[in-house]
Amino acid sequence: MIAKDISTSVKKKDHDGKISGQLAYISDVKVDSMLYGVLYRSPIAYGKVRSIRLPPLPEGYEKIGAEHIPGNNFVKLLHNDQPIFANEWVNYIGEPMFMLVGPKLDILYQLVDEVEVDFEEHPAIFTLEEAIKQKDQTGVFAYHEFGESLDVIKSIEKKAHRVIEEVYETGYQEHVYLEPQGMLGIYKADEILVKGSMQCLYYVKNALISALACEDDEVRVIQSPTGGGFGGKEDFPSMMACHVAIAAKVVKKPVMLLFDRAEDMEVTTKRHPAKFTYRTAIDEQGNILSMNVEVFLDGGANAGLSPVVLQRALLNSSGVYKIPHFHAKGYALKTNTVPNGAFRGFGAPQSFAAIESHLGHISSMLKRDPIQYKRNYLVKQGDPTITNGRFRDPILLEDMIQDLLQTADYTKKKEAFRAFNQQNKRFKKGIGASLFLHGCGFTGSGERDHIKAVVKLEKTEQDQVLIKVSNSDMGQGALTTLSKIVAKGLDLPYEDILFPDPDTKDVPDSGPTVASRTTMIVGKLLERAASQLKAGWQSGVAQEVVEHYIHEDMIPWDEETFSGDAYPAYSWGVNLIEVEVDILTGSVRIERVYGSFDIGRAIDERIVKGQIDGGMAQGIAYGFMEKMTSQLGKIQQKTISDYGPPTAMDLVPIESKLYDNPYAGGPYGAKGAGELPLTGGAPAVQAAIEDALQIPFYQIPVTPELIIESLTKKDGDARD
Amino acid sequence: MGTVLSYRLASLEETIAQLSREDCQIMAGGTDLMVQHKSPMGAPARFDKPVMFIDHLKELKQIDQVNQDLHIGACCTYTEILEHPLIPNIFKVAIKQIAAPAIRNRGTLGGNICNASPAGDTLPLLYIFNAQIRLRSSKGERVVGIQDFILGPRRVDRLREEILTEIILPEMLADRIVFEKVANRRADAIAKISFAGSMRLEGGRVGEARFAFGAVGPTIVRSLDIEQKLKGEAFPLDPKVVDGVVAYFDRIITPIDDHRSTAAYRKTVALRLLRHFLETM
Repeated sequence: MIAKDISTSVKKKDHDGKISGQLAYISDVKVDSMLYGVLYRSPIAYGKVRSIRLPPLPEGYEKIGAEHIPGNNFVKLLHNDQPIFANEWVNYIGEPMFMLVGPKLDILYQLVDEVEVDFEEHPAIFTLEEAIKQKDQTGVFAYHEFGESLDVIKSIEKKAHRVIEEVYETGYQEHVYLEPQGMLGIYKADEILVKGSMQCLYYVKNALISALACEDDEVRVIQSPTGGGFGGKEDFPSMMACHVAIAAKVVKKPVMLLFDRAEDMEVTTKRHPAKFTYRTAIDEQGNILSMNVEVFLDGGANAGLSPVVLQRALLNSSGVYKIPHFHAKGYALKTNTVPNGAFRGFGAPQSFAAIESHLGHISSMLKRDPIQYKRNYLVKQGDPTITNGRFRDPILLEDMIQDLLQTADYTKKKEAFRAFNQQNKRFKKGIGASLFLHGCGFTGSGERDHIKAVVKLEKTEQDQVLIKVSNSDMGQGALTTLSKIVAKGLDLPYEDILFPDPDTKDVPDSGPTVASRTTMIVGKLLERAASQLKAGWQSGVAQEVVEHYIHEDMIPWDEETFSGDAYPAYSWGVNLIEVEVDILTGSVRIERVYGSFDIGRAIDERIVKGQIDGGMAQGIAYGFMEKMTSQLGKIQQKTISDYGPPTAMDLVPIESKLYDNPYAGGPYGAKGAGELPLTGGAPAVQAAIEDALQIPFYQIPVTPELIIESLTKKDGDARD
Repeated sequence: MGTVLSYRLASLEETIAQLSREDCQIMAGGTDLMVQHKSPMGAPARFDKPVMFIDHLKELKQIDQVNQDLHIGACCTYTEILEHPLIPNIFKVAIKQIAAPAIRNRGTLGGNICNASPAGDTLPLLYIFNAQIRLRSSKGERVVGIQDFILGPRRVDRLREEILTEIILPEMLADRIVFEKVANRRADAIAKISFAGSMRLEGGRVGEARFAFGAVGPTIVRSLDIEQKLKGEAFPLDPKVVDGVVAYFDRIITPIDDHRSTAAYRKTVALRLLRHFLETM
């Protein structure tokens, strides 16, 4: 079909395969003479390997370890501190040390059970708290400090009416993609082919070139249908790809590495736990005079993407507010725990939870409505960012808030809830809001300096158009939205645009599928490519067009001084959530959820609605349900039911609204939409619980355990 | 690959006869057993005994009223119980909170009892109903109270050759009966704590009160002593009486910390639910 309006929803390109269950994910693939791999993982958190004793291996079974790596024994990403096979030092429980490969999984499990490793154990750092105490000695993956000078802040604080300091903590979050991680390495005489579930084909390819010490054309990466990523398949798959590629090269057979749910939950990357200190000076009228922020992220055992996650956390530490005299510094620290990595929002959900909580608490100290108080500080078009960039485009936040307060009948509802709470002994109702943004695309000059995205459109002699990009559809609908963008430019039905599974042999590096950049950045390049193809269209002739990333004219980003435009564009959101809290049990029932978003223009309304519903569910659950803990370096929740992501029973239909605010730099006006909807969930649900109970909380998730502890304490205080 | 010897016999009689000859792992719906016996991905489940399937046996799927008692076949699934008109409503309240429809279509009442999890969702109600368990073997049959049948986590008083055939639910007269399950989410979740309570009033006084707590100890916690002491107390209860009952359970409830919750939370919530029940009508 050719829709007039690109936002009109269409059937997703992968709909039939997924709905019928016919689409083959990597774990459905079986190839001739395929072997399986099972990893031997470190049972200790920190130590030196003294010796390894293997059981006798039956014929057809082999150990694959560091000794088989032709190139570098690290997973190429930012730092070189993540071994492919940890053969000298181990840094966390679950770190892969070597892999046994062979034809039968049950035999492999038994063999791995019989391995004996002797370690010289060293004292490990298990918590962020310990890491903060020891940060001067060791283990700072990244550090940034920027903003107003501390002397100025100090002198403001000295003269202030009041200085409010709060510590705020956020926990782990697990991605719980439906499809656990899986990777297949295939040996061929002239190349190693790796197929699997992934978001970033070229990250994987570059890691393979480094590990195999080979030429560009000796490795090939194909993305298989990917059942959810959420960032969990951004950095992590590169390590598994190295494992299967090295093994396949040694045994000259296909090698499959699949994680079941328990293994996936225990050893794959999580959202960084974080600790914040906010210190805010106010005058007698409650006006904010200055704000000083300190952020610590628990990076886990290796740097991974932590330095970049820290940047986004810092860049969002002032929320959507223009704060006079703002200063921030942050650290990403090493602990001997499972490495933390990319996760939808990438540091921003932690910061928004913290700033929204902090301003909420200040407003209740001042006996002001939190939304009204925060509205005094909203950034406006033309305002500087905290890094002296500029909000260049129109900002609709004020209208979005106004609309939502009316739609939800906020003032009346608050009164009704207060009356209900006075009369009901068991249940207390509350309403809370969050205001947030998401910087679209890579942070800073990443797109220009590192990614340099290239896209290609191919037209066959039969006039069939194929999209050649390295971006994954992981359920978010990229196959469909990118096809729609190209189709619109060519005046063709979107069904006619072909989008084969990305294969590095065939597609240029259009960058990773991350950072809410795919629709906005890659989509824009495809929009340009389509119009170029259309202009030169010759029926019956094979044609090819290529487009390269062009950096928008912005205030140049300087990572050293942490200044300039960190993002070309921003998406915006307002959430309002109503809850009912059972004060006997601390259980929270979500009663209504509103979400208003400005994502420029929707390329497909239903796909965007899917991102909103899923993202908000994930964000709300981050705020009060999903609880993951690590004890002495071991993740405690190994099943989905123990971890407790929400089911349909835990949520209500989400009442969402989009605001049209086309962005010239995005295809047909689109901005990023993937991460934004997650960001506001946690702070809104925390605010709603606080409103219901009239108790402040200083951490998420606000679990029933925390609620009961706080209520008990409040009861005790009242009695004293 | 290991193979698993299994039986799926045509009748209860043949099943009982086979159980007298061979020690088997009896499997009804399998919703707990398959989880307990699963291997890592790609390897078969491990059983050290032959598996005896009983989920298909019609003799174990009846629900009948005999005099004032309700007889529920051990292999009635949660869904079958949920849909049956004779089942007391409060059981339906509890069963609706078990797992999700797919599990409820497989899981059975007999299985929930024999699995004997401290967090078993049907157990607190079965305790306060004074449910009886009927067991049969080639040697005969016996009936035992649920509180005597369940010995500890995953331990029940069932002999090798015995099979649990039915659950007998005596009629319970109550003016108020509640069931509360507290878990980390509203479906597919294991209870952090559960509570069942019932109360019958006679002329402004307590005729009978019963309470049971799940997931706060190795087995369901119920005290006939304290229930006896409440008999005849004027209702609404004097605050001192309420405090006394709460203080009593404060002493006998001994929950643990685990990956699902904390001991402190479990105890506090158990006592809060109890107090609320005693103070409300």
